[in-house]
Amino acid sequence: MADYKSLRAEQAQKRAEGKLMGIGLSSYIEACGIGPKGSFPVGLYESARVRVETAGHVMVYTGSSPHGQGEETTFSQLVADEFGIPMENIMIMHGDTDSTPEGRGTYGSRTTAVGGTALYTAVQRLKEKMKQIAAHLLEANVSDITLEDGKFSVAGAPQKSITFGEVAMAANFSNTLHPSIEPGLETTAFWEPEANTFPFGTHVCALEIDKDTGAAEITRYVAVDDCGRQLNPMLVEGQVHGGLAQGIGQALIEGVVYGEDGQLLTATLTDYAMPIASELPSFETASTVTLTPVNPLGVKGVGEAGTIGSTPAVANAVCDALGVAHVDMPYTPEKLWKVIHQK
Amino acid sequence: MSVPAAFDYHPATSVDEAIALLQQYGDDAKLLAGGHSLLPTMKLRLAQPAHLIDLGKISGLSYIRDDGDAVAVGAMTRYVDIERSDLIKQYFALLPEGVDLIGDQQVRNMGTIGGSIAHSDPAADTPGMVLALKADIVAKGPGGVRTIKADDFFMDLMQTALKPDEIITEIRFPKPPAHTGSAYTKLANRASHYAVVGCAAVLTFDGGECKAASVVITGASVKPTRASAVEAGLVGKTGQGGSEGGIGGVLHRIEGAFAGENKLDDDAIADAASHAADGMELVSDIHGSKEYRGQMAAVMARRAITSAIERTS
Repeated sequence: MADYKSLRAEQAQKRAEGKLMGIGLSSYIEACGIGPKGSFPVGLYESARVRVETAGHVMVYTGSSPHGQGEETTFSQLVADEFGIPMENIMIMHGDTDSTPEGRGTYGSRTTAVGGTALYTAVQRLKEKMKQIAAHLLEANVSDITLEDGKFSVAGAPQKSITFGEVAMAANFSNTLHPSIEPGLETTAFWEPEANTFPFGTHVCALEIDKDTGAAEITRYVAVDDCGRQLNPMLVEGQVHGGLAQGIGQALIEGVVYGEDGQLLTATLTDYAMPIASELPSFETASTVTLTPVNPLGVKGVGEAGTIGSTPAVANAVCDALGVAHVDMPYTPEKLWKVIHQK
Repeated sequence: MSVPAAFDYHPATSVDEAIALLQQYGDDAKLLAGGHSLLPTMKLRLAQPAHLIDLGKISGLSYIRDDGDAVAVGAMTRYVDIERSDLIKQYFALLPEGVDLIGDQQVRNMGTIGGSIAHSDPAADTPGMVLALKADIVAKGPGGVRTIKADDFFMDLMQTALKPDEIITEIRFPKPPAHTGSAYTKLANRASHYAVVGCAAVLTFDGGECKAASVVITGASVKPTRASAVEAGLVGKTGQGGSEGGIGGVLHRIEGAFAGENKLDDDAIADAASHAADGMELVSDIHGSKEYRGQMAAVMARRAITSAIERTS
């Protein structure tokens, strides 16, 4: 995808012209889906309370706390797919500790892997109960009940069916539920993984350093990451883009600077440089899919992948361009200029 | 602290009213133009004017006019209008080029040319371009109207020749002679996009010889500074192999003049540009040491001069 041979040929050509082009690679593997039972002083489970309401709408209260990662969409997709109902009928609630169950939060590439599995667990429980209610209403064996496209039907007799909404109504309203069935459709699940998940990837960064000023500019950035099953490919790509921006920013421009007297000199965004879209290259991203056996979703997590791969890829590219083993980050123009002119 | 200290707001309806308000409130007042330098300093409480006099409601201060031997630009003209002006692009290529490098689009939609040069931030771009173009700055005060030459305008760190009760109304850019090219280039602070070092260059050629050069360095010192030593190293130099003598030299120069090429060779430009920081009081901060800025002044000068020469025709 990166056409590495061509990049090296381009580099040879540029070097002959006296230009400083560098190519950096990084391959990473990260322990995500925080965290396995016993790995930490506190339990790193996640939680979800799911309630199917009278009209067949679903309320989800998650202990996860997404702040831009998009689980409002991913969790809705998960519930919609499992129940066969429209996404519009599902509401995901997070961040309100008054209403959500106890959770451990969003970090460590864990929300979909752990929080999503807690949600999946709760949804399966309610699915089972709804099948029992449907079986009773359809006068069939619960083992013969299937749920497909939002309808519970009897295997082999598809005309005998009842909608998701009708079962929800029965559960919440009926006065003739089977005595073994408690009314209502609400459950809270807590799920703790047995092991970490291991997303991985390889990144290639090509950049050029202006010999006169020391300014580095990335000309190409290729990232191939494996986060297991992708519930929403667009959100996955968005996470990768965000991670790349963060990692590249760390390598090239971000840095907290204190004066000799302890005064913070980078106290505002006029002095602390943040990566912005117009100053980043167009990323070339792709993925492989290796499911994890650690959770039923096969999801490994992708929140950090972009950051993990990019900082070392850029660092390696800068060192390659300058022919040195190491330069301290961030790679500001003056710093690189000093390396170039003092060698 | 991200909230300004309390202030009274006065939207002036005319320049005379604004001057009267300046006289009334004296040191307690600041003029508000685009606000994108003033308001951040007020939010940090580095400035705490009790009275803000808004020039934004005064009509007739924002214009770009062909005025015979000069192009007249109203002081409240926003950067975005300068960026888009065909008239300006026709005569002063460096202005839209440099303005396009200022801050970001939001800043360029609000910032004004008059505000920028009155504020005279050492890392700003507009003061350097105005100085390189040898503009005339028209200011009005209680005593009437006067014109200040750009070379007399920028005095020291954020200090201009304006009196406390004077307001800039217009900046006049003398139309350049034929075969003049200009360019602005800068090495930007990656956080604020202010100039770590910038260079504005205006060069005029005639028959392959550099007749005039105006080269100004921004961002490296306490104010935009004319690089006189660079200018001296360019004026009188000839393109097409420079000082090659004899029939060969003459033929080359005639050839060059017909071909429309005024190119000084790279060595001549680099040689002149190497003096970019001569005599300059260089500043130092986390974005560039004195040594780096001095070296970058030469690099930026070389690039701006090369670009300006390419635009002489």
